Amino acid sequence: MSVIVKRARAAAALASDRTAEEYAPARYEARTITKSFGGANALTGASVTIEPGEIHTLVGENGAGKSTMLKVMAGIHPQDSGDLVLNGTHLRGLTPRTAIGHGIYLVPQEPSLMLTLSALENLFVGIIPRGSMAFSVDWKAMESSAGAYFQQVGLHIDPWAPASQLSIAEQQLLECARALAHRCNVIFFDEPTSPLTAREADVLFELMRRLRERNFTIAFISHRLEEVLAISDRITVLRDSRVVAHFDNPKQTSHRQLVEAMVGHEIAVRQRRQRDLSGAEAVLELKDLGAPDGAFADISFMARRGEVLGLAGLVGSGRTETAESVFGMRRASGTVLLAGKPYAHRSPSSSIESGLIYLPEDRGHNGVFANVEVVRNITAAFVPHLPKRGQLLHPRAEVEVAEKAARRTRVVAPSLDVPMKALSGGNQQRAMFARWLLAEPKVAIFDEPTRGVDVGAKVDIYGIIDTISDSGVAVVMISSELEELVLLCDRVLAIYEGRIVGEVTGDEITLERLGAMVVGGGASERD
Amino acid sequence: MLVVVTLAIFGLTSAAQPHFALQGNISFLLASAMPLAVVAVGETVVMLVRGIDLSVAPVLGIAAVSTGFIAQDSHVSVLSMLPLALAIGIGLGFVNGLFVTYARIPPIIATLGTFTVYGGIEQLICNSRTVVTLPTSWINLGTHDFLPDVPYILVPGVLVTIAMALILWRTRWGRSIYAFGANAEAAFRAGIRVKAIEISAYTVCGMLAGLAGLIYVVQVGSAGYNTGSEISIQLQAIACGLIGGTTLTGGKGGVVGSFFAAIFLTVALEGVIVAGIAYQWQSAGVGVLLLVAILIDAYQNRQGRSVSEALRSVLGGHKPVQQEASS
Amino acid sequence: MSVVAETQHVVRRRRFDTDDRWMISLVVLLVAELLYFNFGISTFWGGGWGTSYSFLGYGESFLFTSMIALGVMFVIFTGDIDLSVGYMAAFAGIMMAEFHIGGMNIWIATVLSIALCAVIGLIQGLVITYFKLESLLVTLAGGFILNSAAVAWEGPVPPYGFPHSYDSALGSGDISGTIQIPNQLIVFAVLAVIATLVVHRTRFGRQLVLVGHNRQAAAYAGVRVSATRVKAFVLSATFSAVAGMCIAANYGTARDDLAPTLLLTAITCVVLGGVDIFGGGGRVPGVIIATFVMGWLAPGLLQDNVNDTWATLIAPGTLLLAALTIKGIVDRRQGVSFRAKTLARFGPGSPTSAHADAGDAPGTGAT
Repeated sequence: MSVIVKRARAAAALASDRTAEEYAPARYEARTITKSFGGANALTGASVTIEPGEIHTLVGENGAGKSTMLKVMAGIHPQDSGDLVLNGTHLRGLTPRTAIGHGIYLVPQEPSLMLTLSALENLFVGIIPRGSMAFSVDWKAMESSAGAYFQQVGLHIDPWAPASQLSIAEQQLLECARALAHRCNVIFFDEPTSPLTAREADVLFELMRRLRERNFTIAFISHRLEEVLAISDRITVLRDSRVVAHFDNPKQTSHRQLVEAMVGHEIAVRQRRQRDLSGAEAVLELKDLGAPDGAFADISFMARRGEVLGLAGLVGSGRTETAESVFGMRRASGTVLLAGKPYAHRSPSSSIESGLIYLPEDRGHNGVFANVEVVRNITAAFVPHLPKRGQLLHPRAEVEVAEKAARRTRVVAPSLDVPMKALSGGNQQRAMFARWLLAEPKVAIFDEPTRGVDVGAKVDIYGIIDTISDSGVAVVMISSELEELVLLCDRVLAIYEGRIVGEVTGDEITLERLGAMVVGGGASERD
Repeated sequence: MLVVVTLAIFGLTSAAQPHFALQGNISFLLASAMPLAVVAVGETVVMLVRGIDLSVAPVLGIAAVSTGFIAQDSHVSVLSMLPLALAIGIGLGFVNGLFVTYARIPPIIATLGTFTVYGGIEQLICNSRTVVTLPTSWINLGTHDFLPDVPYILVPGVLVTIAMALILWRTRWGRSIYAFGANAEAAFRAGIRVKAIEISAYTVCGMLAGLAGLIYVVQVGSAGYNTGSEISIQLQAIACGLIGGTTLTGGKGGVVGSFFAAIFLTVALEGVIVAGIAYQWQSAGVGVLLLVAILIDAYQNRQGRSVSEALRSVLGGHKPVQQEASS
Repeated sequence: MSVVAETQHVVRRRRFDTDDRWMISLVVLLVAELLYFNFGISTFWGGGWGTSYSFLGYGESFLFTSMIALGVMFVIFTGDIDLSVGYMAAFAGIMMAEFHIGGMNIWIATVLSIALCAVIGLIQGLVITYFKLESLLVTLAGGFILNSAAVAWEGPVPPYGFPHSYDSALGSGDISGTIQIPNQLIVFAVLAVIATLVVHRTRFGRQLVLVGHNRQAAAYAGVRVSATRVKAFVLSATFSAVAGMCIAANYGTARDDLAPTLLLTAITCVVLGGVDIFGGGGRVPGVIIATFVMGWLAPGLLQDNVNDTWATLIAPGTLLLAALTIKGIVDRRQGVSFRAKTLARFGPGSPTSAHADAGDAPGTGAT
């Protein structure tokens, strides 16, 4: 153990003396890594080699093990077995601290900064330079050298501003700057683009390309296959904790090949449904909805019976805030009409009672009860109507109710009695759909219903949305994935900076059109 | 801002009860605030790492009775007892840290448990005796001023506060404390030895509680089986941290605020008594002050800045956010 | 086409989950404790089953604490904590006694005091939920204020002198028969059954547990989170007040000096009973068993000539720490990290910080 610490210290000391150009090219190998969490295998004998000067992408469905792989390689999770080899040297007992000593850094999916501290301090955290006095921190040295790192990643911020004032994209770039400040040349990006807009993602890709030119060793994870194919030099596919395929030439690889390697079998291509619902009655109507904090303003639209209405918009455009105001999680001015009647004093419980449901965007925080049985997760919104025997709840009847709902949404679980966290992301989302279908909705708002679910679950979720809209439910679908809006929606509204900027119906719904509308270009194109 | 409020309370009380402002009384108030101030400084360090330490009361008690009994029996000097007081605090604080860090018991419960156990140890040490007759040198140190209105007792309190403030602001350890408190996960990923940092925070807190025990016995001149717990000093210390601008969510605040908050709290409670309210209501006074403190804390969290920062920006001053908050 | 094969759900209870195993361990611990005292102390069984010298008779020294434990348990289930329970019990007793001394019928005074304590619990709950304050600190402050109020109200001498029938009914009386059962045990049994059914078999109980597991998710699922939390504080205050009556009846005088001990022991019982201090997890029967484990520990050790300090402070504190250390190890093996939960609960309140804590959220799992 002490040998490792010494080596890390030596490496860190060495690192602080060399300049960016002097990095030795690093070839980083993970050999037959196995890792399990509480009995479930996240990685089974998986091997990956990342060469210097390449962007190596790991793809796979949720739970395939790609994120675990990078976390093991960055020392965040210790592996159960297998070797990590950097330029022929075995790294043993790796921790983030020693990994940084070896020049390895992982930029996480969601930036995790110390929000109450300054950008400057976030940049140097862990390697704060010593000043002239013993034990003293040299703030001046930190301030003067910070600028160079910020510049390298294209960040223009006040180093003394608290990190909480930075946008998500800026926080992400600050993470990259930290990697550089820590003299790391093996940099992993764990789904960095999922919280970013397309434009912000481009900035990040540009940075990745520049680092590649400097012979950095880069690994990348993404669910957006287009960007994967565009930026990768090599692709490794993981499925069910194993490495199942390599693509050494992404330029000649098709989207479809990649997906089939990920899911392990062929997938059917979905066709758009063509329906005319212009005559159907409006069941949900919003008039001049506005948020007190200005997150959105003047939102007016209606959703018809049986219609799938898309709400397209970037993260932070106000789409989630609008939906949450309708559902009653937030306050807003303006009027909401439900089945023609004004619906004031909104709250989640009264919304559910009157058949208005909302599937929240952040499943981990706002959706599932991770440690609660799947049964009770499914019936969570159904508590006021749980079957009773006498004055007391009737557990067996509850199980039957839940089981029926789970069957409708194809939840796959060893038993509905296991805790929710034992299920994969896709099955958790299926259980969430089961929960909301139990409420027998008339209006269903789905916020990013396919975020963090695998391809198989996605297809199922599309099927559920088709079925319930056919049965007369008005579906409002919020999504960042424009492809799925094109596939599913009868009508799409675009929200930009808290206002509705455009509306398209039927065959007008195209990727290009939506892509322009979500960045504010909708209104002009409509004329 | 706190200083202003404290002076205001002092002024009002003096106006109502002229003897409140007599020279000896100011000195006495400052001196009697010092045990609390030193405990509060330690508690602040734990609060900065998102922790809470309820066991500081019996730690203070154990240090007070141990050193007190030795002094009573063998007339040693105060300074010679300093290592013992510190060692007791370090040991007990380190145990707290182990429970929180390695046994992963939530700090509130872990220190509630050690509060009980340490309280038992304090009783065992006392064995139904009390510290009552300290050597004259101890009494003198506890009651004399080295300048008019500046008691000797003030010196260790001020030194500890300044030292901790500097350490927190200017050392890697101090910055790691803030980093851990602001986001433990991120601190881990950035290569900070999170377990060591967390344990060290509890150890430092214990150490200062031990020191406070020595200060307490010198200042008060007596100690017994429930010293520390009887005045719920752990809760007063948390209140001081909150009033002084440190949040319960970690990574924000500083020890200077806590030091002044301790003086403020002491003056306010003393004011309650001098103002003629029955002593029974002193405990309610702590309760009310605590409520006010957490309301301020909640306000700061919601506004994303401390009350004193808000005030400063209104007055036109500007300071970087990570400066020691609110003094 | 379908990607997923037709699914079969096997809905059955797994044989033993963590909560079950915890409860079995507690039962074993209880039996071991009773056996130890039985063989170690000749007088533990005293003059036979249920005489006032036997182990059932010891109930009078701890059953009121068990009632408080049941009350504070509701609050802990929601992920809050109530540190005012001990002072609440003391205040309730003094209030009842003062009403009685003032000429009120003692039973009316009892009901009125319990009701007023429920109102105080309501106020605490409302302050916590409305101002979004940490329950730990609010109830701490509330406890201080109640303590002052109780001490100031009672004056120099604690009120005493209740009718014998009252002392007997809620205090030291028994139901005689082949087995003498202390009246307090009956009161506790009634409260225990109510608590078990409320938590595990009512809609309110379900909401209580869901709120404890994940407050945000509960809100999105239509649970009235604040109302549920407030109700828990009301229940906690009510149970404490009932315990306060039993204390007054048992000692023949209202006491303000027991409060801190009551609080610590009650929380120890709840945690030892397997209820997750962060809310949600655990079973009421576990808490009931734990109150007996804790309850018999002190009188048993005292009978065994163990020093008073060891029996009342060091042993229970060590038991709490040891139990939690073991539970922590068990939970970690199950993949539940206390630390993750700490971070999830104490996460910074500002909206942007949601991103910082995402990695610690339970259930996000590995990808």
